[in-house]
Amino acid sequence: MATLRVDHLNKTFPAIERGSESTTAIDDLSFELSGYVFVSVVGPSGCGKSTLLNIVSAIDAPTTGTVSVFEGDRPARFGYVFQDPRLLPWRTVMQNMLYVQDGKGSDAHDHALDYLGMVGLEDAGGKFPSQLSGGMQQRVGIARAFSVEPDLLLMDEPFSHLDAITARSLREQLQEIWVRTKKTVLFVTHDVMEAVQLSDRIIVLAQGGRLYADIPIELPRPRRASDTAVATAQAQILQRFEAMQEEVEQTRGDAEVSAAP
Amino acid sequence: MSIALERRAVRGGAPGAIRRAVTSDIGARIASYLFLLLVWQLIALYEDRFPTPAEVFGFLWIEVTAGSHGGVVRGQFLEHFAATLPRFALGIAISMALGMVTGVVIGASKVAEALFKDTLLVLLALPAIIWAFLTQMWLGLGDDAVVITTFLSAFPFAAVNVVQGVQAIPRDLRRMSSAFGVSTYRRFRYLQVPAVTGYVFAGLRFAVIIGWNAVLLGEWFSASEGVGWRSRYWYDANRYKGFVGWVLVFILFIVLLDRLVLVRLQRRAFRWRDAQLSAIEREAEEVQLGVTGA
Amino acid sequence: MGSTTVGRGPRRDTRLSLAARRRLRGVLGFVVGVGGFLLVWTLLSEFIVGKFLLPPPLEIGQEMWGIVRTGAFLDHFVPTIMRLGYGFGLALVIGFPIGYLMGTSRYWRAFFHDMVIVAGSIPGITYAVMALVVLGISVLGPVISVGLVSMPYVAINVAEGLDSVDRRLMQMSDAFSRRRVDVVRHVLVPSVAPFAFAGVRLSFALAWKVEQLTEVFGSSKGVGFQIRKEFEDFSIPGMLAWVLLFIVFMILVERFVLVRLERYLFRWRLEDQG
Repeated sequence: MATLRVDHLNKTFPAIERGSESTTAIDDLSFELSGYVFVSVVGPSGCGKSTLLNIVSAIDAPTTGTVSVFEGDRPARFGYVFQDPRLLPWRTVMQNMLYVQDGKGSDAHDHALDYLGMVGLEDAGGKFPSQLSGGMQQRVGIARAFSVEPDLLLMDEPFSHLDAITARSLREQLQEIWVRTKKTVLFVTHDVMEAVQLSDRIIVLAQGGRLYADIPIELPRPRRASDTAVATAQAQILQRFEAMQEEVEQTRGDAEVSAAP
Repeated sequence: MSIALERRAVRGGAPGAIRRAVTSDIGARIASYLFLLLVWQLIALYEDRFPTPAEVFGFLWIEVTAGSHGGVVRGQFLEHFAATLPRFALGIAISMALGMVTGVVIGASKVAEALFKDTLLVLLALPAIIWAFLTQMWLGLGDDAVVITTFLSAFPFAAVNVVQGVQAIPRDLRRMSSAFGVSTYRRFRYLQVPAVTGYVFAGLRFAVIIGWNAVLLGEWFSASEGVGWRSRYWYDANRYKGFVGWVLVFILFIVLLDRLVLVRLQRRAFRWRDAQLSAIEREAEEVQLGVTGA
Repeated sequence: MGSTTVGRGPRRDTRLSLAARRRLRGVLGFVVGVGGFLLVWTLLSEFIVGKFLLPPPLEIGQEMWGIVRTGAFLDHFVPTIMRLGYGFGLALVIGFPIGYLMGTSRYWRAFFHDMVIVAGSIPGITYAVMALVVLGISVLGPVISVGLVSMPYVAINVAEGLDSVDRRLMQMSDAFSRRRVDVVRHVLVPSVAPFAFAGVRLSFALAWKVEQLTEVFGSSKGVGFQIRKEFEDFSIPGMLAWVLLFIVFMILVERFVLVRLERYLFRWRLEDQG
C-alpha cells in the first residue's frame, strides 16, 4: 500500500512537425492518494490519462513538477495492467506469470498458481496465450500484475478492448481480488460508469490535462453494475461530466471568437 | 529505467575529437579490420604452418611487382589474372545467355515449370566441385574444362532468378495492360523488361559469385595457369604464404567486383521495388537475394 | 433460373475434400517434376553427352541402390549430417550475438558490416583449403566451414528481426522492472528466433555444398570423402550416385525436416493452430 504524490505535474510533448504546436498532455496536476484505495482517472481521449500512468511508473519523465511514490523507506513496486494483455506469446500462461517474479522455484510456482486461481484460471497454466480468449488473456494479465504484490497497481483502460459481457464479468473479478489483496490502485478509463462502479475516488481530467474534479464515491462494496445506488451515482457523475464537456466547449468557443480578427 | 532498444549511440558532449572518431562508423570499420588482422596473427602463432600477415603481404608485394622469390620463380601476377578472366567472363556470359532463355521459358509456361523446375533445383544443389570433377573426366585439362565448369555452376542461379523475375510480374499489371489493350511490344518494353531487369541483375550477381568460385575450382584441377592454378602451385609447394596471398587476391577481387559494381547495378534495377526498405532490410536483401534452392 | 443453391449442395460429397485434393496436386507436381528431370537426363545421356560420360538414370539408380543396401550410405551420411548440425549450431552461436549487436548498436553494425558481407562472398574453396591447412584432416574443418558460411545469414536476419520486436512487450518488461538479461532471454531471443531460423534455412543449401567441398579436401569419412574417392577411382557412375543421394537427401531435408522443425519451434503462433 503506497503513497502517491503528484505535485504540479506538467507534461508537454514537443511539436512533431514544424508549424504545429507542442501538445500539453498534463497541465499543473496535483493530487495525492495513499493506502488501500481504488482511484480512477477519467477523462476524454487525449487528456493525458495514459501519459500520467507512464510518468508515475517512470517509463516517461515529467517536463516539470514531481511525482513521488513511496512505500515506507523502500522504492515502490509497481504492477501494471495494459489495455492489451501483453503476454509473451511463446511462453505458457504459467511461464508468463513466472516471468514477472523475481524468485524461482516451487514457491514462485505456487504463488503464481494462487493468483491464477483468483481469476479462475488455475487450470490454464500450461496453455499458450493464443489458446485463450481475449478475456481470459486479460485475466491472466490482471493476475500477473497482482502476483508481484505491488505497492501501487496501475491499470490502463484494461477492459476497453473487451466485449461488454466479458468486461462486466472482469470488473466483478477485479473487485473481488482487490478486496482480498488490499492494494492501492490507480485505474485509468474513459468510461465514467466503470469508474463509478469500481472506485472510491474519481479524478476527472479535462481536455488539455487539467484537473477538473476530484470526486469521492462513498458507496458500500461489493458493488454490482445492477445496483440502484450505483446507477444513481453513475447518473450524477455523468451529469457533472457532461457539464464539464459543455464548459470546455464554451471556453474553446470563446477562445476562437476572441482569436478571430 | 527504460530498457528500450538503443537505436542510436548518443554521444553527447564527448570529450575530444578522438573519441568521436574512434566510435564513428569509419572508426568501427577500421577497428574490424584490425581485429581480423589480430585474429589472423593469433592463428598463425598457434599453427606454425599458417603464414603471418607480414609474410603474406611481403609475398604479395614480390608477386605483384614481378620480383623474384629467392630466384626460383618470377612473379607473374598479371599473367595469371589475364589467363583467368577470359575463362571467367566467357563462362558467365554463356550461363547468363542460356539462363535467361531457360528462365523465361520456365517462368512463362506452366507446363515448362511443372516439368523442369525441379530439374533446375537439382542443378542448383550440385556443388561446383562435382562439375569440376566431371569436366575433368570429360575434357581433361585445359581452358574448355574450366569454362564449362564455370558455366554449369553459374547457369542454374541465373535461370532461377530469371524465373522468379518473370513470375513476379504482378498478374494484375498484366491483366491491366491487356484490359487497356496495350500492344504486346509496349507491354514487353515498359512492363516486363523493367520488372524482370532487377531479377536478371540478381541472377547476374549470383552467377558472378558462384562463377568465380567455380573458375577457381576448375583451375585448381584442370588448368596450367591462372589464379586458381597459381594458388594450387603454392599450396603443392607447401609455401602457404603464397597460397594465402592468392586467396586474399581472389577474395579481394570478388568483393570489389560485387560491392562496387554489381550491388550498384542491382540496386538501380530494383529501385522501383525497394524504395521503402530500411537500411538493414536492404542489406538483408543483398545477402539473401536470389534463390539458393530454398 | 430454377432453384439455385448457394454453396456446395448436399453434404454427401463423393468428390475429394479440399485438403486431399491439394495433396493430390502436390504429388502430381512431384511426379511430373521428377519425370521432367529424368527426361532431360536421359536425353542428355543418350544423345548429347554420351552414355559413358553421363550414365543413364537406370544405371545410376542401381548404383544408388547398391550404396544404400550395403549400408555405406548410413556410414557416410551420418557423420556428414552431424557435422552439418554442429556447423549450424556454430553459425547460430556466433551469428546471434553478432546480429544482436548489429541490430542494437550503430557502432557494432559498422564494425561487423564488412565482415558479414565478405563472409558471404568468400569462395567455398577458400574455406575448404584453409581448413585443411589449419586443421589438417579433421572433423572440425567442415563444421567450421558450415558455421562461417551460414553465420552472415543468421546475423543479418537476427539484426532484421530485432527491428520487429514488439515494443509493447518491451514496455511491459519495463513496467515490471525486468533485468536486461531476462528481457533478452524471454523477449528478444524468442522474437528473433524465427528470423535466425530463416537464416539457417536460407543458407542450408549453400552450407551443404561448402561442407561437401571441405570434406572432399580434408575428411576421412563422409559424403564428400566418398565423392573424392570415386573421382580418384575414375568412376563416373559411383560419383554421380553419391552426388544424387546427397541432393535427394538435401531436398528432402529442406522440404520436410526444416519445415516441420519450424512448425514445432513456433507452435505457439496462432496461425498454425487449427
